[in-house]
Amino acid sequence: MDFNLSKEQELIQRAAREFAEKYIEPIGHQIDVENSIPPEIISGLGELDMFGIPFAEEYGGAGSGYSSYVLAMEQFGSASSGVAMILSAHTLGLGAISVFGTEEQKKKYMPKCCKGEHIASFAFTEPGTGSDPKQIATTATKEGDFYILNGTKRFISNAGFPGPLVLMAKETESGRVTAFIVEKFCEGYSISEPWEKIGMHGGPLLDIYLENVKIPAENLLGQSGFGYPILQLGISYGKVGVSSTALGGLLASYKEAVKYAKEKTHRDEPIGKFATIKVAIADLAEKYEASKWLVYRLGYLADTLKDPMQFAKEAALAKDFVCEEMINASRICMNVHGSYGLMKDYKAERIYRDSIMGSQVEGVSDMQKMIVAGVILGMK
Amino acid sequence: MNIVVAMKQIPDLQQIRIRNRQPVFEDVPLTLGPIDKNALEAAVAIKEQLEAQVTVLSAGDENVEDTVKEALAAGADQCYLVLDDALKNAESSVTAEVLAAALKQMEDKPDLILFGEGSGDNYSGQVGSRVAAILDLPQVGYASAIEVGEGKAVVTRSLENCEEVVEVTLPAVVTVIAGINEPRIPSVSQILKAGRKPKEIVEPDELNLDLENAKTDTLSNLAPETQRKRVVVKSVDELIQALTSEALIGR
Repeated sequence: MDFNLSKEQELIQRAAREFAEKYIEPIGHQIDVENSIPPEIISGLGELDMFGIPFAEEYGGAGSGYSSYVLAMEQFGSASSGVAMILSAHTLGLGAISVFGTEEQKKKYMPKCCKGEHIASFAFTEPGTGSDPKQIATTATKEGDFYILNGTKRFISNAGFPGPLVLMAKETESGRVTAFIVEKFCEGYSISEPWEKIGMHGGPLLDIYLENVKIPAENLLGQSGFGYPILQLGISYGKVGVSSTALGGLLASYKEAVKYAKEKTHRDEPIGKFATIKVAIADLAEKYEASKWLVYRLGYLADTLKDPMQFAKEAALAKDFVCEEMINASRICMNVHGSYGLMKDYKAERIYRDSIMGSQVEGVSDMQKMIVAGVILGMK
Repeated sequence: MNIVVAMKQIPDLQQIRIRNRQPVFEDVPLTLGPIDKNALEAAVAIKEQLEAQVTVLSAGDENVEDTVKEALAAGADQCYLVLDDALKNAESSVTAEVLAAALKQMEDKPDLILFGEGSGDNYSGQVGSRVAAILDLPQVGYASAIEVGEGKAVVTRSLENCEEVVEVTLPAVVTVIAGINEPRIPSVSQILKAGRKPKEIVEPDELNLDLENAKTDTLSNLAPETQRKRVVVKSVDELIQALTSEALIGR
């Protein structure tokens, strides 16, 4: 058993940390207040190949796998969970094309996405359904060599950036759920204003409206009626991003609490000398370390595990544990800060609001437990 | 044009722990000196303007082979390494002899040899000057800008109270300061390609070097004790006066 990072992984982690500390951290508050990320951050991440870490070199990716991806995501998530959210949702959408796409689809869509010139999205959720594919109301009607798409998709990350959108729709003829690649901002594609959400500001969630969107039949992803397996595997990979973003939040909680415990004084002594603060710091260290190794292992499993069901279990397990621990850690961090933690001048306040997001997106925590137990017991 | 950048492997300074005022080096990840990275960035910037090849030169223990990937990722084309356990904590005169011997041995003779003004760990600031002396090359120190022309370089030296611009005939040794540039962050692809770049590894024997002759021995290496002055001021005027008397403002 070897817990060491390779030199390359260490350098990727350091490059991500350096970019996060130099360019994202100083504007973390600004991103939160303005709920948007400056374009130079996106282009900077693109120049460093951060949009293509796990994807094959032949399609413009860096070819470094999900084990490197989690290392970078942790650093971005620590500086701004909104930035990490963009990368996470992008990797979910592009991951589906990477696994299920034809050679032509991969060559067409992946290179620009890997450079960050285009940003991918994944659209399943609708106003009437969050996880149940049977309830999908968006339709795909075959007309010759084209499909005509109609419907509304809800809470879609990156819907306002140009790039490919992997979208689930019900075929009107067969009633089967199928995945399609839609080029965002094509004719008939429109979006809402970003939702005003509690945290992860800068990572935009929008509704998408499809009105007679005409796409070539070759934009069908995988096979007709193959939407659900694509959703299942895609979301499993998506949980690698959500988990590593939450790990970044744990790291931020831990770092902010340690910094404050050393800086803040009471009766001329740093508050870190008090037993209750020591307990809090130890709790944070334990939560961070346990979550870190679970997420790093999940990155490794995403690269190596062959059985989609086992991977779905591992991804759900990590996502549930780490996202819940981020909530706990952000609360402890706030406790260390006392009343100051409630103030927007302190990062603890932002981390606390961000923390709740991970446990709600891509399946709430109880849903993850259903997946984990279902695979263990062999019962749905 | 051949540019050689001498870089030193050091422990990651952010991760060194201090115990009883002694630095603890055990289990600390290794990296390259921060000002050495400025020297590398200067070389890569020149390479991007002119046709140049950038070689990283480093001497140290076997870990250097892995550590140097950082420089190869940041734009160096190849590396030349002198590896021996005895070079791990070699003092400046030994390192200078090793690097000078390596430079003499190189097939492509260097036109410009860049150093950081001082190493990231002990900052003795001697190696660049010593190498220049051994090789009988001109040396320019405290470089804050380098412009390379035909057979010469124009170097801006950033001195305490002025800037001096000098012209030097190549080949030459130039030692740079941290302010010369901001080293780039390597991309993921560059990092992954680093290990595939050419490298030449030699042992001190191959350079006819005897490493036994260290001229200095470090007796102790302690973190400085700092004591706060605890100056109490009663008004902004007094604060300004106190800061001025400490030469912290108003210079």
